[in-house]
Amino acid sequence: MDAGQEPAGGPAAGVFAGDEEVGRDLAAVDWESTPLGPPADWPQSLQTAVDILLSSRFPMWMAWGRELTFFCNAAYRRDTLGDKYPWALGRPSSQVWAEAWDAAGSRIETVLRTGEATWDEALLLFLERSGYPEESYHTFSYSPLRDDSGDVVGMLCVVSEETERVVNERRMATLRDLGSDPSVIRTEQEVLAFTGRQLGRNPRDLPFSLTYLFQEDGSARLANATGLAAGHPAAPAVLPADGPGGVWPAAEPARGGSALIELAGAPFAELPCGDWAEPPVRALAVPLLRQGAAPYGFLVAGLNRYRPLDAGYRGFVELTAGHIAAGVAGARSYEAQQRRAEELAELDRAKTAFFSNISHEFRTPLTLIMSPLQELRERYDGGDERVRQELDVVHRNGLRLGKLVNTLLDFSRIEAGRMQAAYEPADLAAVTAELASVFRSAVERAGLEFAVDCPPLGREVYLDRGLWEKVVLNLLSNALKFTFEGAIRVTTRADGGEAVVVVEDTGIGVAADEMPRLFERFHRIENARSRSNEGSGIGLALVRELVEVHGGTIAADSTAGAGTRFTIRLPFGAGHLPADALVERAEAGAPSVAADPYVQEALRWLPGEPPADAPRDVRPDGTGGTSSGPAAAARVLVADDNADMREYLVRLLRGAGYRTRAVRDGQEALDAIRKDAPDLVVSDVMMPRLDGLALVAALRADPRTAAVPVLLLSARAGQEASIEGLTAGADDYLVKPFAAAELLARVRANVELARLRGHHARWRTALVDSLQEAFFVCDEQGAVVEINSAFTDILGFGPEDLPYAPVHPWWPDAETDPDAHRQVAEAFALLMGSERGSYTIPVTHRDGHRVWVGATFAQAEDPDSGRTVTVGTFRDVTAEHYAIQRDSALASLTVRLAEAADLPEALAGALSELKGLWRAAGVVAAVFDGTGAAPRLTATDLSPSWQGLPPALRERLEALREEPSLTPVAGQTGAGILLEHPQGRLALWLDLGERRPFTDEDRLLLALLAGHLAQALARVHQIEQQRETALALQRAILGPARLPEGFAVRYEPASRPLEVGGDWYDTVALPDGRIGIVVGDCVGRGLEAATVMGQLRSACRALLIQDADPARTLMALDHFAAGVPGAVCSTVFCGVLDPETGRLVYSSAGHPPGILTHPDGTTRLLDQGRSIPLAVRLGQPRPYGECTVPARATLMLYTDGLVERRRRPLTAGINQASEAVQEGRDTAVDTLATDVMARLAPAGGYDDDVALLLYRHPAPLELSFPAESGQLAPVRRALRGWLDKCDLPPQTAQNILVAAGEACANAIEHGHRHAPGQPVWLRAEASVGSLHLTVADSGRWRTPTPEASVHRGRGVILMRAMMQQVTITPGPAGTTVDMHTRIA
Amino acid sequence: MTTPLTLTADQRPDGTAVIRAAGEIDMSNTEALAGALDTTPGRLVIDLTAVEYLDSAGLSVLFAHADRIELIAPELLTPVLTTSGLADLAPVHASGTGPYNAASRD
Repeated sequence: MDAGQEPAGGPAAGVFAGDEEVGRDLAAVDWESTPLGPPADWPQSLQTAVDILLSSRFPMWMAWGRELTFFCNAAYRRDTLGDKYPWALGRPSSQVWAEAWDAAGSRIETVLRTGEATWDEALLLFLERSGYPEESYHTFSYSPLRDDSGDVVGMLCVVSEETERVVNERRMATLRDLGSDPSVIRTEQEVLAFTGRQLGRNPRDLPFSLTYLFQEDGSARLANATGLAAGHPAAPAVLPADGPGGVWPAAEPARGGSALIELAGAPFAELPCGDWAEPPVRALAVPLLRQGAAPYGFLVAGLNRYRPLDAGYRGFVELTAGHIAAGVAGARSYEAQQRRAEELAELDRAKTAFFSNISHEFRTPLTLIMSPLQELRERYDGGDERVRQELDVVHRNGLRLGKLVNTLLDFSRIEAGRMQAAYEPADLAAVTAELASVFRSAVERAGLEFAVDCPPLGREVYLDRGLWEKVVLNLLSNALKFTFEGAIRVTTRADGGEAVVVVEDTGIGVAADEMPRLFERFHRIENARSRSNEGSGIGLALVRELVEVHGGTIAADSTAGAGTRFTIRLPFGAGHLPADALVERAEAGAPSVAADPYVQEALRWLPGEPPADAPRDVRPDGTGGTSSGPAAAARVLVADDNADMREYLVRLLRGAGYRTRAVRDGQEALDAIRKDAPDLVVSDVMMPRLDGLALVAALRADPRTAAVPVLLLSARAGQEASIEGLTAGADDYLVKPFAAAELLARVRANVELARLRGHHARWRTALVDSLQEAFFVCDEQGAVVEINSAFTDILGFGPEDLPYAPVHPWWPDAETDPDAHRQVAEAFALLMGSERGSYTIPVTHRDGHRVWVGATFAQAEDPDSGRTVTVGTFRDVTAEHYAIQRDSALASLTVRLAEAADLPEALAGALSELKGLWRAAGVVAAVFDGTGAAPRLTATDLSPSWQGLPPALRERLEALREEPSLTPVAGQTGAGILLEHPQGRLALWLDLGERRPFTDEDRLLLALLAGHLAQALARVHQIEQQRETALALQRAILGPARLPEGFAVRYEPASRPLEVGGDWYDTVALPDGRIGIVVGDCVGRGLEAATVMGQLRSACRALLIQDADPARTLMALDHFAAGVPGAVCSTVFCGVLDPETGRLVYSSAGHPPGILTHPDGTTRLLDQGRSIPLAVRLGQPRPYGECTVPARATLMLYTDGLVERRRRPLTAGINQASEAVQEGRDTAVDTLATDVMARLAPAGGYDDDVALLLYRHPAPLELSFPAESGQLAPVRRALRGWLDKCDLPPQTAQNILVAAGEACANAIEHGHRHAPGQPVWLRAEASVGSLHLTVADSGRWRTPTPEASVHRGRGVILMRAMMQQVTITPGPAGTTVDMHTRIA
Repeated sequence: MTTPLTLTADQRPDGTAVIRAAGEIDMSNTEALAGALDTTPGRLVIDLTAVEYLDSAGLSVLFAHADRIELIAPELLTPVLTTSGLADLAPVHASGTGPYNAASRD
């Protein structure tokens, strides 16, 4: 102090002694001119009040006397008064707080009138302490001040400013609401409407807000506005891309930066005020950031002019923008996924429709319709005209149906990779011209010109004749259908090494927007004018597939109204075709019957029926429609090695009307019969390879052929030969030479007999063949001896290779697919060992692809042979199997993802699901964040580094980044996919090992799962962000605790569901140097409980400062809590601790007892002073308890979440907590707090939120003093006092004192040398069993040298002798001496 | 400011000089102690009974005169005297015992 400027001494000087700086300014006030007069004349009561005021470290102001003259202390000046200091001192309070006098004046008047204190919680005041009216919140109490005679003449106000808490809570509420959308997935519009509603609910922080989204052209579109009406000049619907003229600067947010805008000028003339009296003067534009790309848009936030734009406000606006951006991201990603999923589903639907429509089993019933129909037509030819016409209708439609089924089957084959084309060299021009000619009559009858221009090409093109017919016929049929005048033209040319076939018409053409879908399956152009509305929409799709089967391409170009041209290009030669599919040129024949349905169908479109007498269905062999032979021509197979004999027999039998085939020996006969059994076999006995008798035996041994009648011819006469033949199983026997009539009679008799006899067998065969399921018969050894055509369709194995002995060729390979092989082996064992059963197994189609079949089987007895056979069916359940697999994979992935608490867990869980699903060797995921940094890896098996990955895998993952997302990519050893991850793009690779096929089904499944995963990751990320925000804000409300020394506190929210809660801790430094300790627990969870908690905490704090009596504080808190909804039944522990003596006075409102752990390990519960929870009974006195915290004892206060567990008494938890404290006897108190929280946490985290407060007595000693030797004595005095509090034996204390003294003396010496007057720090902390001492200076350690400084060297020796461990750490900034000794 | 230390010169009946110290001895006041020792020639008894603290700076002064002094020290100072080795060079008597104890100095 500078005594020279001090006014005259006397009592007045003492009045202001409580605070040096404010006291000086108060002393400088011209008190003579105030109603109070000179301080020397002040009454004792005023002097005392001023002294209390100035000595207090808590913000207070007071008003005294007629004009309510203003006084305040340093804390009030700092927190509230601001720029008004020191002007305000000594002035009438009504001037000082003119702007708030409405509120303050009436309250002061009440206090003066009634003598009762007032209480205000978080009152909003606009203070001009920083040069502008500032929104601030204060919790304060006005209490009366009495003069010496006891009259109320003034008032004292204790204030605690809560601006930060109130503003934080308000912002937190908005952020919580933004994050609390119950519907996880919405459209972008819904997201913006929702966020808009939430922003609109906080007009204090956001008087208005505008959300703009960037459009593709760079302009920005207003997507949402709050506070501003649509059409307001400050809220234009569209902002130009850049440059002047825009109301808001879109350029800066577009670059990812934010911009502060002064709201001056025309558009801002009439801005809304929000909750305030005046409109905002500034606005902040922040970008809606997008991971790894330009922002989505930006948020313009009108700023509350009554709050500074500090880090907190800016952070709030940015977090808000972050929420909006996350919402937009989620919505857009969802929409993208949705589109993708729909596309996949559409593909799937098309496939399913396709498969379900194939109905290849139509063929058998169709055949059974068409052949009798043929007979009927022949029978009625020339008969009843009406019947004949109706039969013709049936016939034509039968042909049409057959054509459709065949087309579908072609697709099915192509789809399944089963199309087995046989390419033969052909003269493309000739073949095409011939096909075209079939259509000539139809085209000309339609009144169109038909031009066929097909000159020889000079080179051969390899064609599958059957497939090529379909190509040309479909195109011609299509042209005719859509052309009403003009011409249809077919041309072939050679062009640049390719053969080009063009089919063009002058028809209605195709609109440009339909062109892309022209070749799409099942796609029909709606409302097109055509000759017929019939059509399945698959003709052109099939054409393209078939052209591609030939290695060619097809293109279409068209002008609506002018015509369409299809151009097919086919390579010459066979180089592009698989060698094993090439066959020799077959005999050129007329276009097969396949053309018939096309032409028939086309003719039906044309006006007018064909003439009724026109020949139909002319047979190429010219036999004509009538026959003298058997009504239904029986088929006879002739087997003879003699060509003359063979020809004779054929001529004879054909002449009699039999459909006859001839083969040269028994083996050929057997093969032919197995493929297609005839009605009768006429066979010579003597033949090479397989003779007639052996043939009969082989036929009879095979159930499928056992019933085929055989007539044996032999040159050997005699009874024996005849008997031999009949014994072998022949039906009849004829000895050469024989009369033609006899042969024909025997043949006729046998055919008729066989027809009678074979009726049942044929019926059975027809039935079996009409089954849509694959049918098979196994003999006793498990060999498959009979199958139907569906079996061949499903598995690719035909009757020609029967029997199939186990292991059947359709079993999955034991080496490459051991699992599937094992499944089939087990199923086979079941089949052989049981009478009936069913199973589902994977089998391998002849062409190698995987088929899943559902099998049903039963044992039966063969009535002919008496042997036990197994009859079974296979149903193709591949589609079902994969659908179920998809569903269950999705379901289990969903479960895994729902269990995940954070992104890494979600991703790891998903990878392990994928690994299990594909039985992959491993799955690895790399997240590329777009910065170019090494991607972050997640893997199922180990956690490798990016560099540690095999180079090939790194390349794969890198390459995936270039792929479109959600599109699987398969390689030799695995498959991968790219998907969106909240932190970038995620490349995922499944390592499937060698030679594992990755089928189309696998691709679909992977795409679906990856889409699902991407969505789930986005969702988890959003929840994670909300959780972090909630936690940060809760901790902000509880802190920043200016924690007194010796204390440690922890707060942990309940882990599942993670929510803020109502638990709190608090320490309050009281004016007399004692410390108030509060731990409380409000009922409930969530924002409401947190709000109640905030109010109770503030109230309890203020009450303790006013009256440091725990019991009375809780009684006052009872009254306060009664008025706060949700505060009733809160439990509170309230204590007042004297840190000097360890004396603790406390009272508990229904709170679990504190635990005091003594240095000897015994514990004591603070179970005195207990009463009911808050506000249950008002006005009931509360008891208090007292205890002394002994030296080196630890006090633990907590909320019930720490110790309460289901199905366990509370005492068990308390004991566990006590043990944890005992074990941490030698740990620093802050570390101990961490240990206790960790040790008591249940496996899945705390169920309830937990507040914990620890105090160890005495608090650590911390001193800082200038490096001067005169400081040694005071430092020792302080240390000695602290050691006394630690309750140590005198000699121990003396030793510590000496060691500390030496360390301090050294520090002072360094200080003298290097940095005179620099401070030296000393810190001493005691735990139960040890004492830790640190002395740090800012000089350099001096290595003791014997001659120069014997006594300094001695100092170190002393330190080492007195303490158990001494560490000296010299450093450039100073030297630290760390000492440690056991004390118990 | 120096640490408070009172030094009183006295003489035993046998003529041996006695210096009685009271207070604390540290680097801030060793000069006073050194001065007192330097101005007192011959054999010398230094009575530290009323000394509550003695650090290495103080010990250095005593070491300089180790060959001609005897010490009377309270039990509290024993570890310092022993550890530093001074007790090996100069006789040390516990306060309240022996021929030079405080009780017999009158």
